Amino acid sequence: MGISLLAPLFLAGLAALAIPVIIHLTQKTKKEAIPFPSLMFLRRVPYKTARRQRIRHWLLFLLRSSAIVILVVAFARPLLENAAVGGIGLETAREVVLMVDRSYSMGYGDRWSRALDAAHGVIDGLGPEDRATLVLFSDHATAVSDAMGDGAALRAALDAAELSNGTTRYATPLQLAEQILAESQLPNREAILVTDFQKVGWQQEAEIQLPTGTELQLIDVAEPDPANIAVTNLTLDRIYRDGRELVAVLARVANQGEDSLKNAQIGLLLDGDQVGSQGVSVDANGSATVRFPSFAMPRREVRGSVQLAADALPLDNVFRFVLSPGQSISVLILEHANAGRDESLYLHRALSIGSEPPHTVTVKPISALRPSDLDANSVVILNDAPFPTGTSGTRLRRFLNDGGGVMAVLGPRSGPSSWPQDAADLLPGAIGVPVDRLGDRGGTLSIMDYKHPVFDVFSAPRSGDFSQARYFRYRRIQDEGRSAVLARFDDGNIALAETRVGRGKMLVWASGLSNSWNDLPLQPVFLPTLHQVVRHLARYAPRESWFIAGQVLDLSQYLAQGVVDGTVSVLGTGVDIIIESPAGEREVRQIGSTTEYLTLAEQGFYEIRHAGDNDVVGAIAVNLDVTESNLSRLDAEELASSVTYRGAGQAAADLAATLTPTEKERRQALWWYLLISVLAILVAESAISNRVSRRNP
Amino acid sequence: MKTSQFLDPKVLARIDSLDLLARTVVDGFINGLHHSPYFGLSVDFAEHRPYMPGDDIRRVDWRVFGRTDRFYVKEYEADTNANFLVLLDISRSMDYSSNGLSKLDYGRYLAACLSYFSRQQRDRVGIVIFDQDIVDYVPASAKHLDIVLHKIDTLDSRRSGKFEEPLLKVAEILRRRSILVLISDLYEDPARVVKALSRLRHRGNDIIVFHVLDPAEIEFPFAEAAHFEDLESGERIPVVPETLREQYRSLMGEHLDTLSQRLVANGIDYCRFVTSKPLDYALFEYLSRRERMSRVR
Repeated sequence: MGISLLAPLFLAGLAALAIPVIIHLTQKTKKEAIPFPSLMFLRRVPYKTARRQRIRHWLLFLLRSSAIVILVVAFARPLLENAAVGGIGLETAREVVLMVDRSYSMGYGDRWSRALDAAHGVIDGLGPEDRATLVLFSDHATAVSDAMGDGAALRAALDAAELSNGTTRYATPLQLAEQILAESQLPNREAILVTDFQKVGWQQEAEIQLPTGTELQLIDVAEPDPANIAVTNLTLDRIYRDGRELVAVLARVANQGEDSLKNAQIGLLLDGDQVGSQGVSVDANGSATVRFPSFAMPRREVRGSVQLAADALPLDNVFRFVLSPGQSISVLILEHANAGRDESLYLHRALSIGSEPPHTVTVKPISALRPSDLDANSVVILNDAPFPTGTSGTRLRRFLNDGGGVMAVLGPRSGPSSWPQDAADLLPGAIGVPVDRLGDRGGTLSIMDYKHPVFDVFSAPRSGDFSQARYFRYRRIQDEGRSAVLARFDDGNIALAETRVGRGKMLVWASGLSNSWNDLPLQPVFLPTLHQVVRHLARYAPRESWFIAGQVLDLSQYLAQGVVDGTVSVLGTGVDIIIESPAGEREVRQIGSTTEYLTLAEQGFYEIRHAGDNDVVGAIAVNLDVTESNLSRLDAEELASSVTYRGAGQAAADLAATLTPTEKERRQALWWYLLISVLAILVAESAISNRVSRRNP
Repeated sequence: MKTSQFLDPKVLARIDSLDLLARTVVDGFINGLHHSPYFGLSVDFAEHRPYMPGDDIRRVDWRVFGRTDRFYVKEYEADTNANFLVLLDISRSMDYSSNGLSKLDYGRYLAACLSYFSRQQRDRVGIVIFDQDIVDYVPASAKHLDIVLHKIDTLDSRRSGKFEEPLLKVAEILRRRSILVLISDLYEDPARVVKALSRLRHRGNDIIVFHVLDPAEIEFPFAEAAHFEDLESGERIPVVPETLREQYRSLMGEHLDTLSQRLVANGIDYCRFVTSKPLDYALFEYLSRRERMSRVR
């Protein structure tokens, strides 16, 4: 073992060895005089005697001398020339971060087993002084072990690793590696990435720089030109025919290979039974849509999947969905007793169109309203008819309080005296005389609340032009502050306002819907606006047919979706449910007033069961993120140069070749250990000399 | 420092338990041990006290009886009191300590305890504080205990010490024969010490010498060669204790023996106190010895 010194001139400091010698031989007399009552008995004695020149306290002398010698050597900056035979082996010790990709694309062919073999190889190559951290990653990274030199523990952690349903994200493991390596005190740092180098996993926005001198080793387990077909999307098309609900399934198939796909079999399964199968041909690097024959939707929830013939990556060849029966919204249109024959023509026609959800429309004069009519409908439209009085009025108010929706359309017959006083609180304010805008070719809507559910579908640019509609007359409504104004005319008068009544909602439209006071029914925005109004009043929200793995779901909200009146009618609230994951793991949740989140980590169907009788009451379909199906490759050198100051393997080689003695000395930092030993010696010296002093005051 | 600090309950309690204060030892130490220096009764009226069975009825104050219809006995100072005077050396050498308690502090405690005991026996107590001269003097009186304790509390060691001049002055100012307790480290030629004390002794005073020493002054346990500084003169000399220890111990022993022999030969009681020895133990030992001596007399 060769030892050299960076600053040998400091060895001149060894002359300081004379200090303890002098202390022990000639300067034994304490500097501070010892006070004594009287010197009458003390005789002056010769100061220099033979006894004084003899070294006493040999241990103290040796400690002091060795402290000076070590201190001088530390300042001389020693370094080991040949660290391989170095007694402390610091130069060869490595801090290794082993990152293994476990995204689902690693399930392609035998990539996963090759990745594990490569990782085992890295662990086998660890030296006795090395420490390694195993990081498994997909869209998030987890250090499954602390930095350790225990190869057996690392192998056990690696053997326990499984593929995930996540996508590849290189930023998270590299950030974790950066943190681990930056905190390491070992002289050599190494990051090893075992992955298939998917292009989708790397985005340049991440600011990651591995510490200087870190060697980044890239182990590529991908094939040169991988081919993959995947079902990337589904469309569920509902059709209502002869009172029956038919569903057509359209599947999007992508081919990410250099060879075209010829007549591959793709099948549709409902509740486990195959109900359709056909061949699909897709050009190289292209995509195609497959339409399965329509099937009659049963009056229950259906679990379905579209499956392609297996290829090297079978996980993305299946696409699952859950289909609930479509629910129609029942709308009751109440007309004035003196209404004309086509008073509600536009309303009726507009609501008759649409399948998601379909509407069931009933028109009758308000004088014919019976309390039982309200039981069968979710929405009531008072089309230029006053709020009913008496029993019907009481019943309609209760309907509102219980969560129903009512829209009052104020037309020519809805004068100030027509609205009963006991229902005045349902309006934003008192109804006034009509505003006549015939003179200026009609007014327009100028202010709309695009955050409100009625208008939010029109919030994007070119999503609906309300300026085309002209309003020649409308009722002036005083704004008494108890309602939310959703739209105003260009003169500031209220056009549409909403009042909350109990759990229900009351909308008031100030200008009629019969093409007499305005031409809104003739405009393209009329139909979608009316559909949005009815959906909003009925509190309708469609239930998602599938989710993507990794999404977090609000269970209460999910169970409330797809139900017209907005209540969790299937289960009720405050009940315990069991969630069974695709892997069969069960957990109990309570559906109550608080938000209950569920992380959908696995691909497949999550089952929702009653905790009491274990009956299945619903299911959630979870599909993989299809972006991971894109196996396009990333240039590994590009990744390496982005996260290291120099290239990957070359950096380490250059480093080893160009280390100057100063850098070697800095990496070994032997002076640091020497100073610690000096400190320890001085502490021991203090303790011993204190003891000696106590014994000899 | 509070007065009560000198009257350490631990010290007093232990002496109490030996019945010291009640009879032989205390009586001997304060009254009996030292025969009253005056013959006959004093005419210094001190106070009245209620008549107790056993009192001589001739001492009943009939005038008071005539006025109050109660028996009171007249008390005179000379009946119960002797002059008890502490001579406390506060020279700089007394300020030495090797174990935390200086000789001066030890002497203060000693002086305070003895003054307190004496006052308990209705002696008149006083104190002379001196170094190379008299620093403070409180005449002996039945009412001076608090002043004595206060002086002891506030004294400070500042100067070097001498024996002859201050003790000569003491001899001149003392009018009555007294019990004199000298507390000092006696760093003086024994002949001079004896000479100074003999003057007092020849005037009829009863003298007790409390020689206070620090253990280090006797044992000389130092190991490291060092300069030693005289606390009084400030003189420094280099000393190698190893080579000097035996010589020092021999000289010190000789000095102590000479002091003891010459003082006793001149009828002066001599007692050595080492500050490492508990104060109550030292007091007890001394008082017990005095008690034995009184029986011999």
